[in-house]
Amino acid sequence: MGVNLEAASEAGRRLGAVRSNEESFEALFRAEYTRVAGIANRVLADPHEAEDVAQEVFIDFNRLHSATAHYASAWLYRAAAHKALNRMRGRRRRERREFAQAADEGASTIDPQHMLEVSEDRRKVREALARMAPKPATVLVLRASGLSYSEVAQALGVGIGQIGTLLRRAEAALRKEVTRGSSL
Amino acid sequence: MAHLSEGTLRRKVDDQDALNGSDARHYATCTECQTQYETFADDARVAASLLATPDVKVDVSSAFKRFQSAPAAQPRFGIRLPVVRPAMRPVFGGLAAAVALVLLIGTGIAQDLLGVFSPTSITPVPVSVADLQSLSELGTYGTLTWTTQLQPQLVTSAAEAASVSGLKVPVVSSLPAGVSSTVTYAAMPQAVGVLTFDAAKAAAAATAAGKTLPPMPSGMDGSTLTVTVGPAVVEVYGDLMKSGSTSSGSTQIPTIPGLIVAESSAPLVTSSHSTTKEIEDYLLAQPGISPTLAAAIRAVGDPSKTLLIPIPIEYATSTTVQVQGVNGVALGDNTGLGAAVVWIKNGVIYGVAGTLTQDVVVGVADHLG
Repeated sequence: MGVNLEAASEAGRRLGAVRSNEESFEALFRAEYTRVAGIANRVLADPHEAEDVAQEVFIDFNRLHSATAHYASAWLYRAAAHKALNRMRGRRRRERREFAQAADEGASTIDPQHMLEVSEDRRKVREALARMAPKPATVLVLRASGLSYSEVAQALGVGIGQIGTLLRRAEAALRKEVTRGSSL
Repeated sequence: MAHLSEGTLRRKVDDQDALNGSDARHYATCTECQTQYETFADDARVAASLLATPDVKVDVSSAFKRFQSAPAAQPRFGIRLPVVRPAMRPVFGGLAAAVALVLLIGTGIAQDLLGVFSPTSITPVPVSVADLQSLSELGTYGTLTWTTQLQPQLVTSAAEAASVSGLKVPVVSSLPAGVSSTVTYAAMPQAVGVLTFDAAKAAAAATAAGKTLPPMPSGMDGSTLTVTVGPAVVEVYGDLMKSGSTSSGSTQIPTIPGLIVAESSAPLVTSSHSTTKEIEDYLLAQPGISPTLAAAIRAVGDPSKTLLIPIPIEYATSTTVQVQGVNGVALGDNTGLGAAVVWIKNGVIYGVAGTLTQDVVVGVADHLG
């Protein structure tokens, strides 16, 4: 029986490519998952939901992009911020969960007033982010998540020279939105 | 010297050494810049405080196992719509094959007429479920390779979609009531595939499926079809996934989006040396192709200028409507659950579909900017 060496070689190459892609993706996942989940958590302030978002982000990425793409990290960061912001918009039932979470965190102080303030502040910040335009909201979230100016610029696809201005205007907008009707 | 820009001053908040020589000298003596800096620093401090959250503690290995166990995490080839239920995939696969069939035949015929397929209008072609089931994946008839890979990708803005595709992204002037303004963009640059017909492969696949194919003409075996598709842009309005609860906890359930707008350059197909008649006769002789479909395809007057749209007759009806000053085809879902309209203008194919009535869908299409 003859052996089709060419076909076997091609099959071997494909298998190697698939294995290599899988390995590259796993390396990317392990390198970036914590940061991606952290960005989502910065928006949602809910670790469980943040991990749900991180999973979705990696699923979307894996479906459409190569793990070795030069833009992989920037794409993941931006997608995490956008997906988390989208999730937050229009959501109302979070308020109940936040109050319970604030109660947990405030347990050491056992101060109902403090619990109420933590919950209320988080709600206002979240609503303010949801009202803001996507770009300034994303700048704030990425910078607050520890990304450098350079990383934020790559994630947004803008020049690094624009980040200072974008950040400044976004911070002013956030403060304005949050302080609307409060005393911050 | 002009005052320092707000970007420069903001950067100083994060990096005290950010100012260069002349900026640093100006700042040292300018009370206005110093005051502004204090304001910026205060806003930055407040923003950081507002956005402070406890660090999320993750177990990356567990997270990766969860990722691997998610059905959607499996590697995919080509585009898969999140709204397509698994049970419907064979039908959509058949529909894709039907689109490929009519395209091949239409363009094959066009080869004899003009040598170039450049559609300026569209015509519906009735396709039955039996037709769909009788067609195999395109790859069954030979070897399909992409010389320029299909690279569909989710993008985050209309501007990025325009950048990826090079197309002017359609703008919906006003969203119909009940349609969410949450929009997801996808874009794809142009891709080029080459199908090399392979008689032995087609026969083997048919045998495995318990079918007997008509013999592939000798001139067709080994000949190639070069298919150029895209670039394309798709806008999906509404949430693609919604949260649901199961016994194992919360999960994400695919939902049907309220409105989809798509735009693509018309496809282009060229053939190496197989003749039109051979391709047409061969594909229409596939077992199970209904006489209705064969007759409809053969009846197309000027296939070089006509894009054929397969209509699954059990599920949808079609009517001709005026859209953007040209004739379009409106598809009504017989169940009343949705409608779509497709038209072609200046070499670009457009489509609008949604869980809306036909009038509303045509209205959106007509006012697309």
